[in-house]
Amino acid sequence: MNKAENKYQPFAAIRRGMLNWWRERLWHGRSPSTFLLFLTLPIGLLMALPLAYILIYAWRGDAATWTRVLNQRIPALLWQTMSLAAAVTIAGLILGAGLAFLVVRTDLPGRRWWRWLLALPLAVPPYVGALTFIIVFGPRGWITELLGRPLFPLYESLFGTSLVLTFFCYPYAYLITLFSLRRVSGNLEEAARSCGLSLKQVMLRVTLPALRPALGAGGLLIALYVVSDFGAVAMLRYNTFVSSIYYQTTGRFDRSGAAILAVVLIIITFTLLYLEVRSRKRFNYAPEHTVQRNLQLIHLGRWRWPALAVTILIFLFGVGLPFGVMGYWSIEGIRQGALDSRFFGYILNSVLVAGMAAAICMLAALPVVYLRSRHAGPMPRMLEQAIMINYALPGVIIALGLIFFFSRYLSALTVTPWLIVIACFIRFLPQSLRSGSASLAQLSPRIDEAGQSLGMSPRQVLWRLIFPLILPGIMAGGALVFVSTLKELPATLLLRPPGFDTLAVRVWSEAHEGFYARAAPAAMLILTASVLPLKYLLREEK
Amino acid sequence: MTKNSIFLAALFLVLVLGGAIIFSRNYGGDAQELIIYSGRNEDFVRPLLDKFEEETGIRTRLLSGSAANLGHRLVEESHRPQADAFLANDAGIMEFVRREGVLTPITSDRLEDIPAEFRAEDGTWSGLSGRARVLMYNPELIDAEEMPQSIFDLADPQYHDQFAITRSGNASMVSHIAAIRNYAGDEATVELIRDILANNPAITRGHSDIRRMVGAGEVKFGLVNNYYYHLQLHEPRHNQVAAIYPDQEPEQMGVFVNVAGIALVDDGPNPEAAQQLAHFLLAQEQQKMFTEVSKEIPLIYEIEVPDYALPIGEFRQAEIPLNELGEVWDDTLELMEQAGYAE
Repeated sequence: MNKAENKYQPFAAIRRGMLNWWRERLWHGRSPSTFLLFLTLPIGLLMALPLAYILIYAWRGDAATWTRVLNQRIPALLWQTMSLAAAVTIAGLILGAGLAFLVVRTDLPGRRWWRWLLALPLAVPPYVGALTFIIVFGPRGWITELLGRPLFPLYESLFGTSLVLTFFCYPYAYLITLFSLRRVSGNLEEAARSCGLSLKQVMLRVTLPALRPALGAGGLLIALYVVSDFGAVAMLRYNTFVSSIYYQTTGRFDRSGAAILAVVLIIITFTLLYLEVRSRKRFNYAPEHTVQRNLQLIHLGRWRWPALAVTILIFLFGVGLPFGVMGYWSIEGIRQGALDSRFFGYILNSVLVAGMAAAICMLAALPVVYLRSRHAGPMPRMLEQAIMINYALPGVIIALGLIFFFSRYLSALTVTPWLIVIACFIRFLPQSLRSGSASLAQLSPRIDEAGQSLGMSPRQVLWRLIFPLILPGIMAGGALVFVSTLKELPATLLLRPPGFDTLAVRVWSEAHEGFYARAAPAAMLILTASVLPLKYLLREEK
Repeated sequence: MTKNSIFLAALFLVLVLGGAIIFSRNYGGDAQELIIYSGRNEDFVRPLLDKFEEETGIRTRLLSGSAANLGHRLVEESHRPQADAFLANDAGIMEFVRREGVLTPITSDRLEDIPAEFRAEDGTWSGLSGRARVLMYNPELIDAEEMPQSIFDLADPQYHDQFAITRSGNASMVSHIAAIRNYAGDEATVELIRDILANNPAITRGHSDIRRMVGAGEVKFGLVNNYYYHLQLHEPRHNQVAAIYPDQEPEQMGVFVNVAGIALVDDGPNPEAAQQLAHFLLAQEQQKMFTEVSKEIPLIYEIEVPDYALPIGEFRQAEIPLNELGEVWDDTLELMEQAGYAE
């Protein structure tokens, strides 16, 4: 007996050691139940899949392809992508921060209304925005016909592309500056004034430095968006990494070139993401708990009306123009009979894909959110990061990773729309995670303990206590995912089975053929659906 | 849990279940329907398929996309083919797919009506309509004498900023470059592409953009398939356009003529219906319809050509067998990339 026990001891020690490492190192003493682990682990693996597969695929590309792509493609693409990102970031920061300043700190007429109206361009998908600019300012656009020549070059032009993107990206900087401006302490400003500084000096030497982290974060958000955008950039025939990867993926049999370009784009994205996370960490300038005094409003005086005019102009470009133009062409399209049975088929496809992505995201967010908030250590953090990273990754990258994986291992799925659903799940789970986390953060872990002391199993606690309480937050997240999927263009284009058209795909292909009246009804539906979740987005920023 | 959220949860459940059912029913390889991958504009194909359905009672499902993309898809799916027939707008991609071994011969006796230069040697694909690569121009902006008379003239600096070409990924463009390689050799082709790009042409996603640009006078001319020129002639506005058939001198290359056609997928879910479709489309009546709907030129000499078009045989044609293009297809893309013509 004794002998046998001795014989197994080394294994027992290893086993104990492994278990210990698992529990203490990876979970800081609180490892989750097998059930929870069983739910979350596959999610984490799926989330890491696109990125991992692109790296593997690119790694296997032969040296000749690498040198060819690095020498012939990268320099030009790098310049085009980065100059566009820089131009839009600078213009977006000036526009966003300037407008935020106007609505918070000055007596701009109607500033309470402008505060949320100016965030609305965020709801306009940039490819719809680009389409409106093409219709109005393009070489055959309304303004061009009126003047007899184009007002400015729109296609293939850094100026045109950055102009269009600026109008739909500035809200990133606007919202974050708005949020930050409202937290700048009036006490600080008052102290500075009492030391004899003029209002102008206070702004430059107290308020502006306090805004610096917000400006940094806002700028990086814009840059992150610009390097990931496909629709607007491709419609305006401007070449960036994203559009190049798209064309390489669709037009070639050998996709290793696309994979290599994707690796470079991933590096760019991660660099921006790293900077963004760092700038967020330095965010807390203002003492929050002190008594807030009302900030002193700056009186614009005779600049009041010019300032209002500029605000209205920007609003017209960012919101009025897309809704107006698409509305006009929608009516035209409906008159020509665009609302046929095929159109309702596109709506059905869109709603199905978006609904499934939203439903799966809501289901998956539940255990992940729970794990993250109730367990400590590197494992839950790794899981969260594996998920959140996909939010910053461009849609083409996620689609490309899925193509590599599924065409090799599960090719039966490539002829179904499931791949689109999976791509949108990976891309937008971060959204539902965020709103789920926010509502779970308000629930004390005591509730779990109370449940367990009443004899509930962990599973019962999850389903009968936690689930009903955080459901509203999860639902809100689901609504966001629904709308994001509805708007999604690049992954849908790359992953759809032949003939599977959604509203976004129709906007893309009809616009390409120049049939605006047929593109507009679909675009109008997407626009309308996009405005709705802005309510949640704005609430988050408060 | 509020009533509202229960309702929403139920709604999503219905969506998921409904979606799962619809997705698997519609995209799970249904043997009842003839599945057609089409790289052609839907508006051009739909009328013919409607007629086919009416005559044979066979239901069809048309799945449209880019020909190159669908061609690659056929190869990827070859262990479990999903499509029965492939309608492509380019011989190069059909020949590429044939060489990958995913096609099966057309058995129709009407195949013999199509001139041998416009179909595969083994009969796995056949051209149905022809398209010549021409230079379409706006006579208000440039005279016929000033126009380039050869594809190689596009490299001339005097045409800087004056013309439009498609993206390099466009199947017609790739085949055209492959033909030029065949005629002039790789080095001269790379040089030609470099010089053309140095002229800063507008690079568009497709030929539709080019015909509109030329019609509206945004560029003086553009390199298109001739039926885009025919289509622009039939537009209500901006229809004052003309075309040059380049390289007509005896020592020159001649106009490159490509075809749109049909290829049949080996081991597809519905092989008999696919053969019927090929037989149907090869009939003169249908080929005539092609020339009416998409304004292409017929491949069969007996079919009358509308007066706006030049029939095959009335211009000098490049002597490049279409069934040699597939060999160099992927290779040509690399050559174009090497010359800086990448997107």
